[in-house]
Amino acid sequence: MDASEVEFLAEKETVTIIPNFSLDKIYLIGGDLGPFNPSLPVDVPVWLALNLKQRQKCRIVPPAWMDVEKLEEIRDLERKEDTFTPVPSPYYMELTKLLLNYASDNIPKADEIRTLVKDIWDTRIAKLRLSADSFISQLEAHAKLDNLTLMEINTIRTFLLDSLNCMYKLRSNLQPGSSKGQFKDF
Amino acid sequence: MAPKQQGGRVVTQQTRSLLNISVNILGIQLLSTSFGYKMDTLSYLPVQPGVGMEENFLSLDDILLSHERLPIRTECSFPRLGFLEKSSDTKDITEGTKMELPLWLSKGLYEKKRRVLSVELPKIYKEGWRTVFNADPNVVDLHKMGPYYYGLGSQMLHFDSPENPEIAQTLLQTFIGRFRRNMDSSQNAYNEDTSALVERLDCLEKALFTSGQSGLNSFQSWEKGQASQLTASSLVLNYRKRKINDLQP
Repeated sequence: MDASEVEFLAEKETVTIIPNFSLDKIYLIGGDLGPFNPSLPVDVPVWLALNLKQRQKCRIVPPAWMDVEKLEEIRDLERKEDTFTPVPSPYYMELTKLLLNYASDNIPKADEIRTLVKDIWDTRIAKLRLSADSFISQLEAHAKLDNLTLMEINTIRTFLLDSLNCMYKLRSNLQPGSSKGQFKDF
Repeated sequence: MAPKQQGGRVVTQQTRSLLNISVNILGIQLLSTSFGYKMDTLSYLPVQPGVGMEENFLSLDDILLSHERLPIRTECSFPRLGFLEKSSDTKDITEGTKMELPLWLSKGLYEKKRRVLSVELPKIYKEGWRTVFNADPNVVDLHKMGPYYYGLGSQMLHFDSPENPEIAQTLLQTFIGRFRRNMDSSQNAYNEDTSALVERLDCLEKALFTSGQSGLNSFQSWEKGQASQLTASSLVLNYRKRKINDLQP
């Protein structure tokens, strides 16, 4: 899976916008949107919000979690705990990047938020690596990926799967009864 | 006795394709007779794929792996094959000669009941080196030692040796011991020269390193916003308009 595909999935998340135009309800396969009235907040998917924003048709209201104090709290908790803590949104990384890139003028303290989210990401990736290592060294067969987001899984997926495949082959050498590595008696 | 590298590879490929054909024939036989023991007619052993990423007989790594030389000792004499052994002038290869044979040949000749040859362990799988691997697998230069340490090690288990369980255990422990370092270096080396990082890695670990790098690179390029840029295909870039004079003689 490609990072841009994960981003595509993230664009389905809803975000609140304040439009400055009026339009009747629009009917799409994915659901009905609107009606749009000037300065009345309405929930739309991110892809539409960004499109309208780029055409200067709306103002984006940042999600509740995209706030310096809340993110600091999450970061400190993430550093304190050994396990993965629940993240505010399953697409926090992608949404931060999209919203900050295209609508940074609507988000207060955009730079601080960017740094905080990056801090959270780095902490989580370090944890992910640590748990992958203990997973391998203890010869575990399954793991629970609670609270991990798609983007995080995606960065380590190819490497981890390939390693597990190799390890499986090396482990199957150990079993004397396995067909691989044993001669058939003619 | 071992053929030269170039010729040898051809031989391996031929053996492999022959094997494939014979397996096909076997399949047909099985269909027509519906009973009968499949293995009865197969008088030789396919060199099974190594521990690499891809499991097909065209895998270049597997072919190179099947070329690794093993020290062997002949247990019977091979009449009139003395010309293959350059070190002596005798007509036959006598019993008890020590020589090196490639893996594919030793595996084909090796049989438990009819002892044609006995295979000795290469030194990196012996007790002494196993102790080194168990002590700290990270300090060993597997590329110099191998470069198919894991693949050849797994293949060595085909030859009955009392040390087999220990070899398999050491292979697994070495892989696990080197995993963390490989993961960290492949996930952190962004936009830098990786040749120093991979020079001590086994071929298998190198493949893992590349897949770790691909994950890192695709994430970084997304983060920088390069993933959304469309790039021209190399076919289009290299396309040149042909002149009619060039095409017509």
